[in-house]
Amino acid sequence: MAPPRTLAPSGSASSDYFGDDDPEFLQALYETVLPGDVMLDSSKQDTSDVEVPEMPPCAQPSLKRLRSPDLDDLEDLVPSASYHKILSSVDENKESAGYLESDVYGAAHFGDFGEYMARKRAKLQIQNAELEDADMVSDSKSKIFQGLQIYINGYTEPSVQDLRQLIMKHGGIYHAYLVKKSLVTHIITCSLTPNKIREFKHMKVVRPEWLVESAKSGVLLPWKDFIYKANERLEHPQGKRAPQKSLYDTFSSQRAANPQTSTAETAPDSSPRVGLVQLDTTETPVAGPSHVTPPSTPTKSQSTPRPLHITDPGTPSQAERVPDYAFHKSNPIAERAMADPAWRAAHTSVAPDFIEGFYRNSRLHHLSTWKAELKGLVTEALERAENGTNLGRVPGGEDGEDEAVGKIVEENMGGRAWKDEGVDVSMKDAQLVMRSPSRKGKERAFDDDEERIIMHCDFDSFFVSAGLVDRPHLRGKPVVVCHSQGNQGGQASTSEIASASYEAREYGIKSGMSLQQARKLCPTVLTMPYEFQRYKTFSLQFYTILMAHADELQAVSVDEALIEVTTSVRRIKSEMARSQGYTSAPLGDPAKNFAEAIRAQVKRATGCEVSIGIAHNIMLARAASRKAKPAGSYHVTPDTAREFLAPLDIDDLHGFGYATRQKAFEKLRATNLGELAKKSRAVLCDALGKGTGETLYKAVRGIDERKIESDKQRKSVSCDINYGIRFENNQQAETFIYQLAQEVSRRLKTIDMLGRSLTIKILVRDPSAPVEAPKFMGHGLCEAFAKQAQLVAPGGHATSGDKVIGEHAWRLLKSFNFDPKELRGIGIQIQKLEKASGEGEGGPGQAVLPFRPADVAKAITEDENKNDSTPKSSQVTKAKLSEAEVTLQEASVTKALSPSLVHSDLPRFSQVDKSVFDALPDDIRAELEAEYKRRSVPPEVINAIPPVTVTVKEEKKTNFPGHPAKKVTFKEPAPPNLARITRQLAPRSKSPLPGKQSALFCKTRFVTRSNVTESELRRLGLDPVVFAGLPPDLQREQLAGARFKKTGKLGVTFPSQPKRLRPIVRPSKPRTRPRYIPPPPPKAQYPEVPVLKQQGKTKGEKLLFTEKDDLQNVIEQWMNGFLDHPPNQRDVDYFAKFLVQCVDGGRGSDFGFEKAVAVVKWWLVLIKRHFSAWEYYQYEPELKPRKRYTNEAIGRAWWKAFREVKAKMDAVARKRFGGYISLR
Amino acid sequence: MTSDAPLSFNQAVRGISEFIEVAIHNILYVRQVYPADVFIRRKKYNLPVFQSRHPGLNDYISGAVKAVSDELAVGNVDKVIMVIKNKEEVPLERYIFAIQNMIQVEHFNKETSVEEAMTASTLGHYFRSFLVKLSMIESELGQYPLPDDLSFAIILELKDDKAPTVPQGKDPPPWVPASTQHTTAGASEGAELHMLRAVDTGIISLSLAVQESEQKLELEKQKNSKGKQKAT
Repeated sequence: MAPPRTLAPSGSASSDYFGDDDPEFLQALYETVLPGDVMLDSSKQDTSDVEVPEMPPCAQPSLKRLRSPDLDDLEDLVPSASYHKILSSVDENKESAGYLESDVYGAAHFGDFGEYMARKRAKLQIQNAELEDADMVSDSKSKIFQGLQIYINGYTEPSVQDLRQLIMKHGGIYHAYLVKKSLVTHIITCSLTPNKIREFKHMKVVRPEWLVESAKSGVLLPWKDFIYKANERLEHPQGKRAPQKSLYDTFSSQRAANPQTSTAETAPDSSPRVGLVQLDTTETPVAGPSHVTPPSTPTKSQSTPRPLHITDPGTPSQAERVPDYAFHKSNPIAERAMADPAWRAAHTSVAPDFIEGFYRNSRLHHLSTWKAELKGLVTEALERAENGTNLGRVPGGEDGEDEAVGKIVEENMGGRAWKDEGVDVSMKDAQLVMRSPSRKGKERAFDDDEERIIMHCDFDSFFVSAGLVDRPHLRGKPVVVCHSQGNQGGQASTSEIASASYEAREYGIKSGMSLQQARKLCPTVLTMPYEFQRYKTFSLQFYTILMAHADELQAVSVDEALIEVTTSVRRIKSEMARSQGYTSAPLGDPAKNFAEAIRAQVKRATGCEVSIGIAHNIMLARAASRKAKPAGSYHVTPDTAREFLAPLDIDDLHGFGYATRQKAFEKLRATNLGELAKKSRAVLCDALGKGTGETLYKAVRGIDERKIESDKQRKSVSCDINYGIRFENNQQAETFIYQLAQEVSRRLKTIDMLGRSLTIKILVRDPSAPVEAPKFMGHGLCEAFAKQAQLVAPGGHATSGDKVIGEHAWRLLKSFNFDPKELRGIGIQIQKLEKASGEGEGGPGQAVLPFRPADVAKAITEDENKNDSTPKSSQVTKAKLSEAEVTLQEASVTKALSPSLVHSDLPRFSQVDKSVFDALPDDIRAELEAEYKRRSVPPEVINAIPPVTVTVKEEKKTNFPGHPAKKVTFKEPAPPNLARITRQLAPRSKSPLPGKQSALFCKTRFVTRSNVTESELRRLGLDPVVFAGLPPDLQREQLAGARFKKTGKLGVTFPSQPKRLRPIVRPSKPRTRPRYIPPPPPKAQYPEVPVLKQQGKTKGEKLLFTEKDDLQNVIEQWMNGFLDHPPNQRDVDYFAKFLVQCVDGGRGSDFGFEKAVAVVKWWLVLIKRHFSAWEYYQYEPELKPRKRYTNEAIGRAWWKAFREVKAKMDAVARKRFGGYISLR
Repeated sequence: MTSDAPLSFNQAVRGISEFIEVAIHNILYVRQVYPADVFIRRKKYNLPVFQSRHPGLNDYISGAVKAVSDELAVGNVDKVIMVIKNKEEVPLERYIFAIQNMIQVEHFNKETSVEEAMTASTLGHYFRSFLVKLSMIESELGQYPLPDDLSFAIILELKDDKAPTVPQGKDPPPWVPASTQHTTAGASEGAELHMLRAVDTGIISLSLAVQESEQKLELEKQKNSKGKQKAT
């Protein structure tokens, strides 16, 4: 609410210093105000002497949004002080509308929008004040909205104007603009956009009805009853909304499985409840033709929901089934109590010791946590069983059979008279320890189900009968055990009945009912308090006895256990056979007799009755114990199993509950086991699902393959509190979560486990449910949420630390973003349990990078160094001097040192993010480097050669291959060090692969650029995978070092050096490249075209002829020029040379051949044209050329030239094609 | 064939071997080695051409040309010669497809367009002119029809000291040694060569020439004299 004082140095904070209604302040204001004065000045005079001059009108509009302090202040002041001041001026009518002359009504400066808005707001407030004033004149002003500052958003159902008037009328302040959220106390709306919902998340958003109703009733109603809720949940990330599954489901089924038999259940159930209000009306008779009511249970109406006896149902469906439960009704007592903050602080989850108290009193907690203590209890029981203390002996019976039983019982109890006590004591422990396993082995011998004897031992109304032990006067009366005692809570007590005596049960009282309900059924019902210590004692005795007799024991709960007694029963049988002298068939049932003996024993020890069901499997034994109740035993033999089961109902069987029964009824129209036995396996599986159907199919046939499990592995540890959760703010919720986390952590530690996963389960009040649940401090109707997250302790291990759990849980809860007031239940569950097995915090796993302030780290490392070096300095120096003689003493010293190294919390060098590392300040980095260097030395050599290893590291980092110093470094005998360095230097991108896993890839990827085989690397102690990942120069270096280490000879170290050099040379060859750089595409090559050159007409001009037509022209010209002379031999040669060139495919192509032929052909044509007469005179060339050339001579010369050329061409052509060129 | 881009090496090889096949069919028709009704008219290079319908003949020709094209791709071919011979194995006419590989192309570049090479469409035009010349070969070779008992052979002449590549498969190599008189080396001096047409693609140069053997010329002379005698 408070505007930040530092931001408003002038008078702005005045509204905070003085309350709105401070009359003195108002008085002071009245006095100082001068009509027409700038109102702000007055207020400023009070609080500060800083005079803020009024801003002169700007010559130019400032570009910056200039908010003068007075404007800022104005805004703040308007609602409070100045607002009243203005009000008063209006009120007094000293000068009509004098305030109009105030600054607010002045012209706003151009461009100063902020000023405009501020003034507008101020004006609106003045307007409001006028409104208010008008009302005040008419009737006495209602003050119910005094102090409320309301902003209205969006369309509302009285309109904004009406609401505004309403607010003003009742003394509230209306804001037209939401300028400062801190000013506004409430937001009124009918609908909000999702964005607004998010924006107003932390504000009080109320529906307009609040104002209307409040005005109507004349009292300010609690705004919470009118909280605006968006129609649907907008933020799904809150987690899946699951139908609530509460613990009560299981509890009720357990309770249903409690003492009463089916017949006993129905009789009292119906009669007293007839007159009662609730669900009986829905009990419509089902009269479908398909409906077959089993004859044995005619009173049961199978279609009606069975009454559920719990006091605090969490879902509507559950609530429907609870008689007398009006879940829309708020608990008036609780409301009253909650109104008292002191009570609240002391009794709800806010109370500091709430959790402790809760668990001290929670029966459910005792029952459930008890299992965790079982181990201890059982061992204790074992000891007691051996000593046979505190336990009465069964007196020997008259007949041989009882004698036999007694004898075995006695034997089991360890009271073997013929054994020497002294010897016995020492033997006992060994024998004890051995007993269970040895019997286990024996048990395997009789795999035959028929022979196994399993007993289900269950106290009859344990809490009650335990309580009755020292309250004999209550025996035979209807007694219940619950928290509420005497008349406390009175008629309306919602305290849950944990256990009811058989007398009380006759009235229809059942465990799980509230005391209130029980009182309705039986007004005279008496209550007893819980006595957890006694329960524990009794339970211990109970288990002690069972332990003595059992081959195998499974603890179900405090008062209930499954035991396998096959061996004992067999021994009884053989004993009987012996004593009876091998006569005739066995008399009676040895198992039942044995059970009776156990019963008697327990009765003697505790004074409570136990019922025992006997059968050959767990399921039947459980069913039998129901039959046995109260105070009896019942043996179901394999032969009688089916008849025994036939009349039972599905939910009489352990493991089948209400839901299964409903399903079976809906789909199969039968819930009776006899009926169901007729269904095929497929039908059952179809109706109930595969697993359940299968189990049921077997169950109705008396088959149960479960084994007694004496030591069940815990899967999760959890802590749920759904009672008394009433927070007011997140602070409290957080505190509570951390407390709960402590509890969970404690539980984890008792069973010595660590968890890896955390689930938080949240119950949130259902919007339709009243704020106070019908059950006193209960959770009422709720929506359930759950969220799971990994539980990671620093370093990535599993954890049981309460801080970590608390942190995770709180983060999860916070992510839901629930209103802490609405929380009704919180549970933390830890899953993925691991044995802690004494692993300390510094166990394996990812190390933590500690970001400590530099100097702290320095101090610590210095400390470490000191610790490391100073006390052992003498030895260190000695080691430095002669590294060869590393004595045993020194080894032990380094070993002693090494734990401190391992324990310090720097991550391994390979795990350090290089970029982060590089970004560190130089001094820190240097320090870390130094530290790492120190550590890179394996413990064995840490003191021996620290400086040398440093150089090794240095080189690795800076990549100086072939540095001479290298040779020095490898003189040091540090083979593991090398391997480690290679590992550390492996490229970060590759995850450090364990050798085994990457074995597959090894083969293919093992392409080291160095010339070394994998096996050799292994021999040298280098990881081939890592080695392959190294840059080649490092590979070489490593290899060299390792080889040198191995051989000790430098020369032999590099035998393959020339070879190794080769791959470096190779890349220069182009062959390895082409893949990546595509060469230029091939270029076409055309043959050189022979060119006939001729001198042009002018000197120096050269005419070039290549084309056929041109050539033909040239020839023609040549011919024409020499028609009177024989051709010059030079010309002929020249021409011949050209033509031969053309014909020669070697230089030109056949394209030239073609051309030449064409040219020659034309030449022939020309010759023929001129000298055809002389064509066949070829054999007369010997005629000497004369001075005067005759036509004949010229012709012959031409022909001769032609033939010469042709011959030359033919010679070339013959070479290629054979024959001669045809010119036809 | 895409017409605009310059030829790639493989395209040139394919184009040339295709042309050789078309030309062989056409020669067989033009020179009447087989009866005219063995052939059907088709259109190739925008020109009416003749193609044999005889499957055995077609198989032989295409098989031979395939083998030629394999060798072409290697770049060892000097000449492909189709010899028309009589039943005495005497060559009468030799149709010589002279080939010259102008450039060597790396294996990875066989399909890349060769810069500045002839385009496919131009090559098509050239082939058309080849075939036109071929169909008019009679004008150069004389009207006298060849004797009736003709047959032909396809001969591959490689560059000096090159041998046909051995195929990888288990098929026997397609080539057998030719009889000398059919080859260029065995051509008599009296043979007459008619250069028909030549083309430079820039990748492979191709020319087609017809060589009439001396024997044929002799025969013709005899016929001529006989005719003259008869005429006189």
